[in-house]
Amino acid sequence: MELAAIFISAVLVQNFVLYYFLGICPFLGVSKKIDSAFSMGLAVTFVMSITAVVTWLINNLILIPFGLDYLQIVSFILVIASLVQLVEMFIRKISPPLYQALGIYLPLITTNCAIMGLALIAALNEYSFVETVIFGFSSGIGFTLAIVLIAGIREQLDLADVPEPLKGAGIALIVAGIMALAFNGFLGMLT
Amino acid sequence: MSLSSRMIIVLTTVGLISGGFLAGVAKLTEERIALNIQAEIEEAIAEVVDDAEVNQKVYEEEDLVIYIGLDGEGTLAGFAVQATGVGFQDKITLMFGLDASLTKITGLTVIDQNETPGLGAKIEDWNAFLQFWKNKDATGQLTLRKPAARTPEELSAAEINTITAATISSKKVLEIVNLSLEKVRQLIQEGKIAIEEQDGD
Amino acid sequence: MATKSIGQEYLKGLWDENPVFRQLLGMCPTLAVTGTVITGVAMALATTFVLIFSSVVVSSIKKLIPSQVRIATYIVVIASFVTIADQFLKAYFYSISEALGPYVPLIVVNCIILGRQEAFSSKNSVGRSLIDALGMSSGFVLALLVLSTIRELLGAGTILGYQIMGPWFKPWIIMILPAGAFITLGILLGIALLIESKTKRSQ
Repeated sequence: MELAAIFISAVLVQNFVLYYFLGICPFLGVSKKIDSAFSMGLAVTFVMSITAVVTWLINNLILIPFGLDYLQIVSFILVIASLVQLVEMFIRKISPPLYQALGIYLPLITTNCAIMGLALIAALNEYSFVETVIFGFSSGIGFTLAIVLIAGIREQLDLADVPEPLKGAGIALIVAGIMALAFNGFLGMLT
Repeated sequence: MSLSSRMIIVLTTVGLISGGFLAGVAKLTEERIALNIQAEIEEAIAEVVDDAEVNQKVYEEEDLVIYIGLDGEGTLAGFAVQATGVGFQDKITLMFGLDASLTKITGLTVIDQNETPGLGAKIEDWNAFLQFWKNKDATGQLTLRKPAARTPEELSAAEINTITAATISSKKVLEIVNLSLEKVRQLIQEGKIAIEEQDGD
Repeated sequence: MATKSIGQEYLKGLWDENPVFRQLLGMCPTLAVTGTVITGVAMALATTFVLIFSSVVVSSIKKLIPSQVRIATYIVVIASFVTIADQFLKAYFYSISEALGPYVPLIVVNCIILGRQEAFSSKNSVGRSLIDALGMSSGFVLALLVLSTIRELLGAGTILGYQIMGPWFKPWIIMILPAGAFITLGILLGIALLIESKTKRSQ
C-alpha cells in the first residue's frame, strides 16, 4: 500500500507546511479567514496536481534521458510560472464565479515554495508517475489542511488579547509551532 | 520590430545564454560531483570492513548493493552490504560489514537518514549506537537489548544496544540489517554473487 | 523621494527593511535550515550569491527587456544562478549540500530575490542595485545567523558543532524540530516589533 502511505505521509506525517516549511508566505498571508484559506488551499492543490504531472514528464522524458539534470531548476520554475498563467486563463474562461473566488490567489502561487518544493522532492525521491501524481495531490491536501486549521485558530485569536508586538505574524508563527508539535504526534504512524 | 517579435527574441536569447552558461558549469562540476558520491560509498566501506584496500561491486538490486573488500594482496577481506529500508520517519540507507566467512558483522555506518533530530538521528552517532555494532554474530538474527546497556561488553554477541528515547529508530536499523542478512545468505546459496579473486594488484 | 546615500542604501537591508524580520519574506529557508549554524550560514551565503548576481544582471539588462516578459526573464536569470550555486555546493561542499537537501534549489522561489528585482534592480542603476542586494543579503545573513545560533545552542548545546553548554545542560530538542523553528521566529518577530515601537516612541 505504498500509495496510501504517500498520501498519509504528505498530509499528516510530513505535512508540507508544518514539516517541510513550504508555503509559509501564503500560509501567513492568506490564513486570516477560513474561506479564503480554503480557496487558496484548493487553488494550490489544483496547481500542485498538474505541476506534479508536467514536471514528471519533463524530468523523465527530456531531462534525464539527455543528461540535462542541471536544467531541472530552470525548467521546473518556468513550467510552474506558465502553468499558473494558463490555469488562471483557463479558470477565467470556463467558470467566472470560480475565478472570482480563486483568481487573486493564483499569481501568488508562482512563488509559493510549496509548488517548486513538490516538484523537487518528487524528483529527489525518484517517484514513479503514479506516485508523483498522488504525492502532488496529497501535498496540496496537506497544505489545505494546515492553512484551514490555522485560519480557524487565527479567527479566534482575533478576539483574544494578544500582546501588541506579537500581533499578526508573530503569534501566527507561534501557533504554527504548536501545531507542528501536535502533528509530530503522527510520527511513526506508518510503522 | 513588433512587440511580440521583440518579446520572443529577448526570451530566446536569455534562454540560450543561460542554457549555455549552465551547460558549461555542469561540465566543470560533474566530475567532482560524481567523485563526491563515490567517495561517500568508499568511506562507508572503509569504515565497516577492516583491511579493505580495494573494493568491487558484486551485486545490485533495488535497495540492496553488495560490495566486496579486497586487501593489499587481493584476498577477500570482507563484504560491505548497503541496504535501504523504512525507518521511523523516512528511509534509512546504511552500510554494514561482514567478515570473509560471513559469520561476523564487522561494523555499521549510516549513509542517509531523516530520523528525529537529537533522538532517532543518534543512529549516526558512534558513542550512542554505532560502537555496539563491532564484532556481532551474523549467523542468525540480531536482537535488541532494552533497556540500553552501558558498555559494549555487557551485550551478548547477537544483541544490539538501543538508543534511549529512540527505540523505534534503533529497531528499524535492526530490521533492515536482519532482512539484508537473510537476503545475502540466500543470494550466496543461489550462487548469485560473483567473487573474482585477484592475484595481487 | 530623496535619493538615499550609499550608506543608507546598504543599511536599510540590515534593520529597517530587513527581509525576514520586517518584510516577512524568505521564510521557508529561514525556518527549514536554521537547525544548525553551519547550514543556516551556508544557505544565507548561497542566497547572497544568487541575490547579488541576479540584481547586477537584471539591472544591467533592464532596458532591453519588454515589460510583459520581465518576470519570466528575472526567473530565468535567478534560476540560472541558483543552479550554479547548487552545482558548486555539490562539487565542493558535498556534506553541506546533502544537509541542505532540496532547499538550495528552493532559493529560486525565495520571495526576497524576485521581490528585489521587481522593486529595485529593474528601476535602478547597476551600482545601486549592487548595494541594495548587499544590504538585503546582509540582513538575511543576520537573520539566519541569529535564528540558527539560538536553535543550535538551545537545541543541542553546540555552536558549529563545538560544545558550548556544559554537561549540566539538557538540550531542548524541540528547538531543532520544526516546532522550535516556528516558535523562535515568532518570538524574534515580536521582539523586533517591540524594539521598533520603543525606538519610535523615544524619538
